[in-house]
Amino acid sequence: MNISKRVSFIGAAVALALTAAACGDKKESTETTAAPETTAATETTAATETTTAGGLDLSGVKGNVFVTGSSTVEPISIKVGELAKTLSGGGLAVTVEGPGTGDGFKTFCAGGADISDASRKIKDTEAEACKTGGVEYIELAIAIDGLTVATSPKNTTVDCLDTKALYALLGPESEGTVSKWSDANALATELGSKYNNLPDADLVVSGPGEESGTYDTFVEFAIKSIAAERKIEKAAVRADYSSSANDNLIVEGIEGSDDSLGWVGYAFYVAEAARMKAIAIANKEGACVLPSPETIADGSYPFSRTLYIYVNKAKAAANPAVVAYVSLYLSEQGLAEVPAAGYVPLGADKIQASVAAWTAAKA
Amino acid sequence: MTATQAPGIKSVNIREALTRKQRNPAGVALHVALVLSMLFALLVLFTLIGQVMVKGIPMLTNRGTGFLTGTIGSEPTKIGLWPGLYGSFFIGLGVIVFAFPVGIAAAIYLEEYSKQGPLARFVRINIRNLAGVPAVIFGVLGLIIFVQWLDPVTKGETVVAAALTLSVLVLPIVIITASEAIRAVPQGLREAGYGVGATKWEVTRDMTLPYAAPGILTGLVLSVARALGEAAPLILVGAITGLLPRTGLTERFTALPILIYNWSGRPGRPGKVDWENAAAGAALLLLLLVFLFNVVAVVLRTRFERRRSGL
Repeated sequence: MNISKRVSFIGAAVALALTAAACGDKKESTETTAAPETTAATETTAATETTTAGGLDLSGVKGNVFVTGSSTVEPISIKVGELAKTLSGGGLAVTVEGPGTGDGFKTFCAGGADISDASRKIKDTEAEACKTGGVEYIELAIAIDGLTVATSPKNTTVDCLDTKALYALLGPESEGTVSKWSDANALATELGSKYNNLPDADLVVSGPGEESGTYDTFVEFAIKSIAAERKIEKAAVRADYSSSANDNLIVEGIEGSDDSLGWVGYAFYVAEAARMKAIAIANKEGACVLPSPETIADGSYPFSRTLYIYVNKAKAAANPAVVAYVSLYLSEQGLAEVPAAGYVPLGADKIQASVAAWTAAKA
Repeated sequence: MTATQAPGIKSVNIREALTRKQRNPAGVALHVALVLSMLFALLVLFTLIGQVMVKGIPMLTNRGTGFLTGTIGSEPTKIGLWPGLYGSFFIGLGVIVFAFPVGIAAAIYLEEYSKQGPLARFVRINIRNLAGVPAVIFGVLGLIIFVQWLDPVTKGETVVAAALTLSVLVLPIVIITASEAIRAVPQGLREAGYGVGATKWEVTRDMTLPYAAPGILTGLVLSVARALGEAAPLILVGAITGLLPRTGLTERFTALPILIYNWSGRPGRPGKVDWENAAAGAALLLLLLVFLFNVVAVVLRTRFERRRSGL
């Protein structure tokens, strides 16, 4: 079932145990100023909490809902679950776990969950598994997640990169050969990138490990298509970087060296913005776009993705608690938890599409 | 005195040579190295406990009993670790209920009943090897056997499956320590028992086991502490870190070590009581829980020891 992914967490657990004691003090001394984005996110939380009256009426709803799937979407599902508990007076009990999108679909398509969170669309093989398992589902887009490529705030030489330069720096061909930023210049030139004058400084890479959805997303955005073009079989990030499942350790790696390069989820970047400098990503026209709520919502930032929930139709039909939870998810109150969890709200038209799809499925 | 004294050496010199302060550089160096090693171990331990206290106590004083009775969730200012306490408590209890009887029975068989041939030696070596198998492997075993195969009994990814998995994990430790305690019982005691016509079981029950009880209990303390501290196998058995509104033996579960790992990885906000503090608070309570289990065992051991010396 979920063996392979869960095993890969263990390495990170060990690494954490070994470094936890050493890291404690350093963090406090460096976190001197709170980022403006962080404050904004906190204010949004406060605002949603005070305006809970007059929304969906969930009083008297009783029952259990089980949500599995993406650990990226998990924080939103948790927040909506907490809201559901409050609004229903404790009757609506939502259990949420986040083993990962792939593991989530395995459970979901075997009929083991009411809802599956996903940081990407369902794959054909997974849809096939759902069919075999007799699970009919409805797909609902609920938020957008951005990926932030970041370096140390002290790095003044790099402000913007394109996909090709990122491939040259972090792709499978850089493994073992690119130990300085400038080592990637040759490959960047060969690929036709205009970012082929990278600084002559040691390259220190930190990022999430293979088990993370953020790793998959980065491969998807920066590596996959170029690797396919160049007939490189393994579309993966170079193996010789310091990977961790613990976001705090990744930030420490990015912050800890002036010549660092790494990537984290946008939500996590917002929470720790004082400790990292976001690198703008050049779009197809060559313009540099920094990640921000606006550029992510309108799709102009190249490294962003839509987040979904998949609802088991039969379970929703049989269990009013599932209907109540999903309705709350798509209500104004529920969607207010998206920015509260650090993600970017969908555009109004896309939300309307999700609401319409859900209303149709409910009937 | 029959030995001849070598010329030039007087008995006074010999006495002085034997009793004066040793000035052996290698010996002094070794002494210093040993003291340093001990100090280093103590330093690491106290730093660790100090860190946990400094970071964990604000969480406990800020939240009070809410931190104990609340459930896990998204806000470090509102969460509680009740599901973790519940899970860890039943894992500890599960180990006592499952692993102890089986482990002690296996040790009795190995020491008192089995023929001491090559087969017994083979079994014993393998039990020792099992004690060295990494915890993750037992997690995989637990996932396949207790979560999937025994689903009708354990109801899937529940605290029962977790307790069974960790019971299997500590079983070798229980067997080895119990075996050693039983082996340390003087043979004369058993022979005296047989001498007055007791059967093998009567001797084992009334003489060997009470005499070995303190040693066996020490092993049990170690194994409960080990089971309570394990996080890796629980990740595989499906512990939850997201949202868990209900606790029960057949519900999904979580445990303190898992919460400590998960919470310490969540993003923090500087200068506030935060996930880091929540993780430290959970660590404090885990230490307390292990301590409580230990106190019970130590009290029991003292009683057994008193009974033994009062025989």
